[in-house]
Amino acid sequence: MLKTRIIPCLDVIKNKVVKGVNFKNIKVMGNAVEMAKYYSLSGADELCMLDINASYQNRKTFIKTVESIAKVINIPLTVGGGVSDLSDITDLLNAGADKVSINSAAVKNPKLIRQASLRHGSQCIVVAIDGKRHKNKMKVVIKGGREITKNELITWAKQVQSLGAGEILMTSMDTDGVQNGFDSNMLKKVTSNVSIPVIASGGVGSLEHFYLGYLTKSTGLLAASVFHSRKYNIKIVKKYLSSKGVPVRL
Amino acid sequence: MKKKVIGLIDGQSGNIGSINKAIKDIIKGRPYQLKIIKSHFNYASFDKIILPGQGAYATLMSNLKKLKIIQPLKKYLENNSSYLGICVGMQILSDWGYEDKTTRGLGIISGDIKKFRNNKLIIPHMGWNTINLNKDDTIITNSFDKKDFYFVHSYIFQNIKKSDVLAFTLYGQKFPSIVKKGNIYGVQFHPEKSHKHGLNLIKNYILKS
Repeated sequence: MLKTRIIPCLDVIKNKVVKGVNFKNIKVMGNAVEMAKYYSLSGADELCMLDINASYQNRKTFIKTVESIAKVINIPLTVGGGVSDLSDITDLLNAGADKVSINSAAVKNPKLIRQASLRHGSQCIVVAIDGKRHKNKMKVVIKGGREITKNELITWAKQVQSLGAGEILMTSMDTDGVQNGFDSNMLKKVTSNVSIPVIASGGVGSLEHFYLGYLTKSTGLLAASVFHSRKYNIKIVKKYLSSKGVPVRL
Repeated sequence: MKKKVIGLIDGQSGNIGSINKAIKDIIKGRPYQLKIIKSHFNYASFDKIILPGQGAYATLMSNLKKLKIIQPLKKYLENNSSYLGICVGMQILSDWGYEDKTTRGLGIISGDIKKFRNNKLIIPHMGWNTINLNKDDTIITNSFDKKDFYFVHSYIFQNIKKSDVLAFTLYGQKFPSIVKKGNIYGVQFHPEKSHKHGLNLIKNYILKS
């Protein structure tokens, strides 16, 4: 049976894992390579890392960090943040990423999804979607939720699938960073409208939240703070899920 | 002592970095050497060949054709020499692939590569799933039975002889996760991404065969 994936997410600036609510009060949580190694050894099913400050100067160090991480882990690695064109995707795959996640660039230029999946295969193209409720509608947002696009969430999710995305990384900006649980309602809407895997992201604060995430039919559950702060380790999360009857890799 | 030569084919179908590193770690301090194959090669000068692959069947076949690898690889396999195909590197052992367009494969293990039959499944089959061994094997020993490996694929080996299936996995249906014919192995999952069990499998393949 296919296992539900537990995926720690590293928000990275250069080579440091950071934490900040809405980019304010950014706090260094640790060294990215050390943390990646730790998660790989302690049972993470996949690792996600995002360049959250993809400026030209920081990018070089970030790519080097991707290379170093790819060398020390042997689980799949998804890398995103600041991906704007095909050459960015190629650079990250060459640095050792298994999958590349595209967000704003896909919204601005949806053709990029098709071009990338034709060149590298759908299996390595993840489209990250940030969703937010706006005037009773679920909309796609970019720039960390500051800009509401004209795209309706479900229409966009279906569109990225038909353009060749292999997976959707779904973050609700309504629940992200506040640790009150995943946005079950939003996630269920997405999973029931697409047939590609969906990774749930945004809002985990307790063990039960992971279980509620599983119930949305998301096949991957992503979390950052609860792992980085050592509130839970991956084994505890998996043991808990297993006790609730969720298939996990123990 | 003469070193055994391992060939790692770079079919420009995904990144070979992880598998390259895994092999290097395993053979460190042991009488083996690793050569990357990127073009026509002398099939008699290799003791083992590993072909990792990602993406589409047709793409890998056309890449191998362009690189002039098909002919020596076919000869190598027809001699029943030791081979490990990973993901699409396993799939092209079949007669035909039906991904994107109908493509002739290497024709070493009879069968076809077709999409999962159940259209209600989440596709690609992506993540960790269990392998179930049909029989004991000198390389894929009982210790691998019921262990989880990392899969990412939408197509599976079909119309294959039962005797060529070493392990199966369940995802909406039973499908072959390891095929074997003589000294030729193919795994549908990615051992290089499958943490310790995956590395042990590569290690066994290199050291035990």
